[in-house]
Amino acid sequence: MGVLLFDVSGFSTFGKSLDFFDLTTKDTKEERKEESMSMQDVVIVAENVQKWYGKFQVLRGVSLTVHRGEVVVIMGPSGSGKSTFIRTFNALEEYQQGRIEIDGIVLSDDLRNIDAVRREVGMVFQQFNLFPHLTVLDNITLAPIWVRKWSKAKANEVAMQLLERVGILEQAQKYPGQLSGGQQQRVAIARALAMQPKVMLFDEPTSALDPEMVREVLETMKKLAADGMTMVVVTHEVGFAREVADRVIFMDTGVIVEEATPTNFFQNPTQERTRKFLSQIL
Amino acid sequence: MTHFWRNRKFLSIAAQLISVFTVAIVVFILWDNLTYNLELLGIGFGFDFLQSQASFDIGETLIPYNPTDSYYRALLVGLLNSLRVSIIGIILATIVGAVVGIARLSTNWLVRNLALVYVEVLRNTPLLLQLFFWYFAVFISLPKLENQISFFGLINLNNKGTQLPFGLEISSELSALILGLTLYAGAFIAEIIRGGIQSVARGQWEAARALGLKPGLIMRLVILPQALRVIIPPLTSQYLNIAKNSSLAIAVGYPDIYFVASTTFNQTGKAVEVMLLIMITYLTISLTISLTMNTLNRSFQLKER
Amino acid sequence: MNQNQIIKWLRKNLFDTWYNSILTIVCVFLLVWGAKSIFSWILFIAQWKVIAVNLQLFLVGRYPEQMYWRLWVSIFIILGLTSVTIGSLVKKIPNRWLPLAWAISFSVILWLIGGGLGLQAADSNLWNGLLLTLVMAVTSIVISFPLGVLLALGRQSKLFVVRNFCILYIEIVRGLPLIGILFIAQVMLPLVLPDDITLDRVLRGIAGLTLFSAAYLAENVRGGLQSIPRGQFEAGKAIGLNSIYIMLLIILPQALRAVIPALVGQFIGLFKDTSLLSIVGLLELTGISRSILAQPEFLNRYAEVYLFVGLLYWVFCYSMSLVSQRLEKV
Repeated sequence: MGVLLFDVSGFSTFGKSLDFFDLTTKDTKEERKEESMSMQDVVIVAENVQKWYGKFQVLRGVSLTVHRGEVVVIMGPSGSGKSTFIRTFNALEEYQQGRIEIDGIVLSDDLRNIDAVRREVGMVFQQFNLFPHLTVLDNITLAPIWVRKWSKAKANEVAMQLLERVGILEQAQKYPGQLSGGQQQRVAIARALAMQPKVMLFDEPTSALDPEMVREVLETMKKLAADGMTMVVVTHEVGFAREVADRVIFMDTGVIVEEATPTNFFQNPTQERTRKFLSQIL
Repeated sequence: MTHFWRNRKFLSIAAQLISVFTVAIVVFILWDNLTYNLELLGIGFGFDFLQSQASFDIGETLIPYNPTDSYYRALLVGLLNSLRVSIIGIILATIVGAVVGIARLSTNWLVRNLALVYVEVLRNTPLLLQLFFWYFAVFISLPKLENQISFFGLINLNNKGTQLPFGLEISSELSALILGLTLYAGAFIAEIIRGGIQSVARGQWEAARALGLKPGLIMRLVILPQALRVIIPPLTSQYLNIAKNSSLAIAVGYPDIYFVASTTFNQTGKAVEVMLLIMITYLTISLTISLTMNTLNRSFQLKER
Repeated sequence: MNQNQIIKWLRKNLFDTWYNSILTIVCVFLLVWGAKSIFSWILFIAQWKVIAVNLQLFLVGRYPEQMYWRLWVSIFIILGLTSVTIGSLVKKIPNRWLPLAWAISFSVILWLIGGGLGLQAADSNLWNGLLLTLVMAVTSIVISFPLGVLLALGRQSKLFVVRNFCILYIEIVRGLPLIGILFIAQVMLPLVLPDDITLDRVLRGIAGLTLFSAAYLAENVRGGLQSIPRGQFEAGKAIGLNSIYIMLLIILPQALRAVIPALVGQFIGLFKDTSLLSIVGLLELTGISRSILAQPEFLNRYAEVYLFVGLLYWVFCYSMSLVSQRLEKV
């Protein structure tokens, strides 16, 4: 586990609370994206990120820019570093060289920055990682109450709205162990959304699910994208990428091999390695 | 740049330094108090006293000893006594534990429940009390030599002790200690063995029966080897407990290392030195048992792909 | 059950094979002989006066009689809380106030028994017998609990000094017999503490028990901590909680829940271990028995006294082990 016995970050004061992120779709997704593109509204900037595990270099200079409202899908064989890469965005993994900026905040050794970034980035894990000793509702309200210091009433209200949004309002008082895998993952999505993040990271969200439950989670993610959420998704789900992604990225051995729109990526891949990978999964 | 008090790396190093500093200060304060008080009481520190005359007698010894011998020899006598009790206790307790543990799984209702009563009674009363009971209520209350209780002339019990075949004589103190330790530890070992045997999947039994093996052979060739894997770690704990519980010898007057060390302290006042001797002795014994059992444990682990 | 069913049961459970039949006969023989001897001893040979005369001493020692009402109030509080706790465990309705209620009543009961702050004080030397055993066992486990958790966390720490200090402490304490630890506590504590702090014998005894118990508890909790998947920690970090919150809200609740059966077992062990304090001069249940047996009129009543006292210990320990088995099923 390796817990630093006294992590001082919790004692630092944190900044102004954010406005309630309006999730209703008044503008269309396209309109908003044009606006953000023109305003240079970037959420994630990663420049030449390099990371070593001991002597082994797992990220060899990866660069990525993600604009507000974009959906970026990353694909690649296991060991390509794609999960490691997105985990650097919320400081679950450290990096040795390069630069990462989330919503204008530089990710460095500064604990206040790390805290601030983690509040703006939501993450959904392959293994759900719900807290088994808390009810579904408590899972979702835990962070808003203890990090954003919301009142229990406000947190509960937001949590119920999110549960309705992901379609499992009636499970609010149940424990994670009583839910199916698909339901648990949807709770995990609601839990990440409760902090009103600027960007959502998905690390192979459907890989641990039985086939019949993959669809319900993908539908939830598609709705999220349609509502304008900025998303970076590591997945093997080609259908999802084709329908929803603005860009598809192929990573292999720690570098980005190819980056293109879904149409170009799947129909006219330019790199040999991409073609080989696609032939295995399509 | 980032303020140093929020820098993750800086804080990590700072925490290390602060913890070293704090521990050092606490140790220093305690050490300071200790030396001050020792000087005040005129005790000082040093192991030279081990050479001086012990001036107390020891009831039972495995090696020759008399009160004019040094403290060092007295402690050696105590150590040998401790080892004797521990080793005999470990062997006998394992036997008792195995018998009772298997009895707990017997198809015979009476046998099964008698074993259960044995386990539940002995596990839920303090060992010290049991030792007092065996020593005071049983062994020294035994009749005198003339009226001694005799089992087929082979084993004789009287108020001086136990006479076993081959001319072995055990004092009342040692008898009570060994009996108490064995029965107490035997109860715990019985449950460990029972749990281990039950942990072997039912399918193993059934496959062996289907092959036509008789229950005795199944137990010996199929179940026990696999059960031993599960049994050895908690069994190690129990062996360590037997070695540590042998220190209760002081309650029945059997001169083990703790008893001798405690007497030495009473006579010399050398608290720190005696404490260190006790610690080193028991830690060495514990370590030896742990290492031996761990080597045994490794040879029982399943070889996997 | 009619006669046929009884015969069938006998056949299946006692006489199914030839060696089982022999075993049954031998056991029955021994049981009957044993029961006859024991009952005749209990009824005719044993002199139970020693128990009847000294019952008060066994149970509460020399605790002033006029203050008995305080003990009754304490018992009442404990019984009340226990039934509420069992009720909530059985019905699976967690009650948020229960842990707080237990914590408060612990302090209240100590105040009732000991006095001070308005109530007349009862010197701790007068608390003897079962009363002292209970007070010491409960106090030790209560104090060793946070200590053990801290040790377990420290053992996982990334700080070199903290981690190794914890490992050293745990391994040394677990390698020594309790009587050695009590010796160290009784003899060494006065030497390493400054002159103006003196601890009475009961406190030193509790200190020894606590230091001993904390090391074993740390190992139990460590097992629980290691059973928590890494993903829990990551999920906590991902939603923005800092390490302390993650530990308090996510990791520890799960870890402690997992080791409750082991913890109850440890409490049973501690309860039995209080008997060792009789060797360092404290008059808890075992100690007061020896003191009673030293009186000339009760010389040689060893069997009666030790069996009675053994029964008292057994009732407490066996009940607790039943609770533990029940808890494991939950």
